[in-house]
Amino acid sequence: MVSYLVHRLAGTLPVLLLISFLVFSLIHAAPGDPTLLLLGEETNAADIARAKERWGLDQPLYVQYLKFVRAAAAGDFGKSFKYAEPVINVIKTRLPATIELAVFAIIIASLLAIPLGVWAGAKPNSWIDNLGTTFGLFGISMPSFWLAIMLILLLAGVLNVLPTSGRSTYGVAGPEQTGFYLFDSIMQKNWAAVWDGLTHIFLPALALGMNMLGILMRVTRSSILEVMNEDYVQTARAKGLQEKNVVWRHVTSNALIPVITVVGLELGTLLSGSIIVETVFAWPGSGSLLITALNARDYPLVTGIVMTYTLAFVAINLIIDGLYAVVDPRIRY
Amino acid sequence: MISARRFVTALTAVTCLLCSALGVRAQSRVSIGVTETIETHNPYGDSVSLQYGIYSEVTGPFCTYSYNKADFEGRLAERWKVENPTTWIFYLSKNYKFNDGTTVTAEDVVHSLMNRVIGDPQSKQKASVAPSVVKAEALDKFTVKVTTDKPTAPLLSFLCDRLIVTSKAAFDKYGRDAADREHMMGGGPYQLKELIPGQRLVLQKRPDHPDAKKHPNAPDEVIYRIMREPEQRVTAFLNDEIQIAQFIPPHMRQRIEKNAKLRIAPIDSVEIMFLAMQPKPPFDKKEVRQAVCHAINRDQIIATLLESFASRLDGPIGPGQYGYDPNLKPKMNYDPEVSKKLLAQAGYANGVDVELQTPVGRYTLDKQLTEAMVPMLNAAGFRARLLTPEWATLWANVQKGTVPFYYMGRGSVQDPSAALHQYFHTGETPRIGYSNPKLDELLDKEQQEFDPNKRRQYLSQAMSILTDDAPACFLWRHKLLWGLNSRIDYKPLPDARIYAIDMAVKR
Repeated sequence: MVSYLVHRLAGTLPVLLLISFLVFSLIHAAPGDPTLLLLGEETNAADIARAKERWGLDQPLYVQYLKFVRAAAAGDFGKSFKYAEPVINVIKTRLPATIELAVFAIIIASLLAIPLGVWAGAKPNSWIDNLGTTFGLFGISMPSFWLAIMLILLLAGVLNVLPTSGRSTYGVAGPEQTGFYLFDSIMQKNWAAVWDGLTHIFLPALALGMNMLGILMRVTRSSILEVMNEDYVQTARAKGLQEKNVVWRHVTSNALIPVITVVGLELGTLLSGSIIVETVFAWPGSGSLLITALNARDYPLVTGIVMTYTLAFVAINLIIDGLYAVVDPRIRY
Repeated sequence: MISARRFVTALTAVTCLLCSALGVRAQSRVSIGVTETIETHNPYGDSVSLQYGIYSEVTGPFCTYSYNKADFEGRLAERWKVENPTTWIFYLSKNYKFNDGTTVTAEDVVHSLMNRVIGDPQSKQKASVAPSVVKAEALDKFTVKVTTDKPTAPLLSFLCDRLIVTSKAAFDKYGRDAADREHMMGGGPYQLKELIPGQRLVLQKRPDHPDAKKHPNAPDEVIYRIMREPEQRVTAFLNDEIQIAQFIPPHMRQRIEKNAKLRIAPIDSVEIMFLAMQPKPPFDKKEVRQAVCHAINRDQIIATLLESFASRLDGPIGPGQYGYDPNLKPKMNYDPEVSKKLLAQAGYANGVDVELQTPVGRYTLDKQLTEAMVPMLNAAGFRARLLTPEWATLWANVQKGTVPFYYMGRGSVQDPSAALHQYFHTGETPRIGYSNPKLDELLDKEQQEFDPNKRRQYLSQAMSILTDDAPACFLWRHKLLWGLNSRIDYKPLPDARIYAIDMAVKR
């Protein structure tokens, strides 16, 4: 297992290097100049030249890239043009909000999709299967930005039961400790803040998780259908087990491996999907930060965020590989 | 026997009477849905309208532009005089105090201008606040001398509502970052209470401040909530999540007007909208540029797409802006037949291909408005095509001078001097690349002329040349629609800045 992990970790280095090169090249190739975007309308040539020198933009691109790689290897993504702070600090302040949102999106998607998928797969062609399939198709087809606006209109507007945006109500939360608003509120036993946080996170998490919900539901259904015809399932039935025990104890546990894979892969999609959802819901996470950075052509910040997402993606895939062995004892590395 | 309900009612009434007798009152809070975001604790770290407004309120505006008087008026700088064309003397009020009780002095103004705006590499405000300032010095505790590298008659349009004055003592004691983040000192009527970048900013009133005493009904707390999506702002406004909503799109106003407790307040923006044309073929010929101006039916676009929420411009600026001349000539009226004749005179009797570029979503209905212009241009003899590049790309190309024909806005035009120099003075920026020695002479004269009447005359002559030579067609100023809860008495400003001290909350 250890040698496998070392081998996998070594394999990620070229991936990280390639992605860093692609991101760096693409963001520099994109039209737009950070000095023109950040220094204000009345800026002049002398100020622009000074800013370029300060930000290292007066050097050849390959020199800028090599400097970036050397610093990034030591965990330093440089200094943000817009915030004038180390990129890593700026990301640190915004990442917990995105992680919190992604975790809630997964919880909502999993809680709805897995039972629905199991139910639909266990009773193929029944009304529940048709309903679940339609629901799954709806989840996959709805673009998150449209769904987000519809949720605001319905649940915040017409029904007026949830807030339209933001992460918390001013004055409710206690002092920030970890950056994870709900976790901090639970630790402080501030139940009003916990409830406030839940009401704020529900709409963006639902908008973000809906696509994953659809995919997860369909994968679970297919996987259940496949396992339902295995010999050991027939044996379980022949032993006289009740159908619900057959489905939940024997079928579901064995059908979960592809579901775990999808959850892992979709986590990456959640991070990228959060860019749109965070912007619509004014969620102060790394997704909305990336939009701000892109609009300002803040090269170090854009590169830093994308590299952080890449690292998260790689780490998730490693964890998922590890989880296979836990879920299926036949798999050993 | 008295019922419990009656007892509670009586108790409440007695409590209320006691509270009012003792002068105790509930804290008032106003939430405002805004479209821009403040991303940094450094008051000099960004150059956006919302940031200037909020920090001016926290640190006390140096001076401000009064739209009622169409002139500048003093705040922290009570008055000023021009000693000679490159030297200004500002006299400070002695009543402005920082949060810690210390008085705001000339040293703080000098420090803010020279060390923070001009000298600090993290500042993004030098070009917007002090483009020609080379020196500032304290003549005494409450007098500041500002020296410019060239005569700058419109200096106040840079300093007023923009120069943020922070404490030198806090900077010296805590250092820049800690002073900004943890010990934000201001001499304004509000203090910064919380800033969560990308989400909200909270201000709290300083009841002991002279301006706060003058405005007892100004809100005790103001929460600026970032809401970029119009639907989100309108929904939150209808739900009373926010009491003021910035920039309601015209097509959404009816939803608000149906609610008796809410109202729409339109205000003429100071942002001027225009079509810019670089003097390269085919726009190198004056007739072609004039043909564009005669081809656009501004009145129809304003009446239909903009639902009359815009004011037509017959020159670079409109009423309320410094130097506006209602008798400015010529007027480029809509007349497609004149356009065709002008095109024929320019040698394009069979039409000419042009590509109009527009930002999308930056200005009110920008894409829809330019889409409406395309058939108008085609009807006048052009073969027009609309391009919609992403904003950062378009803006970078405009600033490099590589976009021949584009729809654009220029904000913060209380005084048009900076905008006219920026777009039309030879060699100033390549945005249009226009050059006219006569215009340059007039623009140079107005910038060096300190007699307001003479300066207005120069501006008027310059704007007349611009309208006739048409390096740009001046179209309209949008009316910005603000949503206001009936509990709030407030008149929004044309430059979209928000001053909570000017609000009155009905209790």
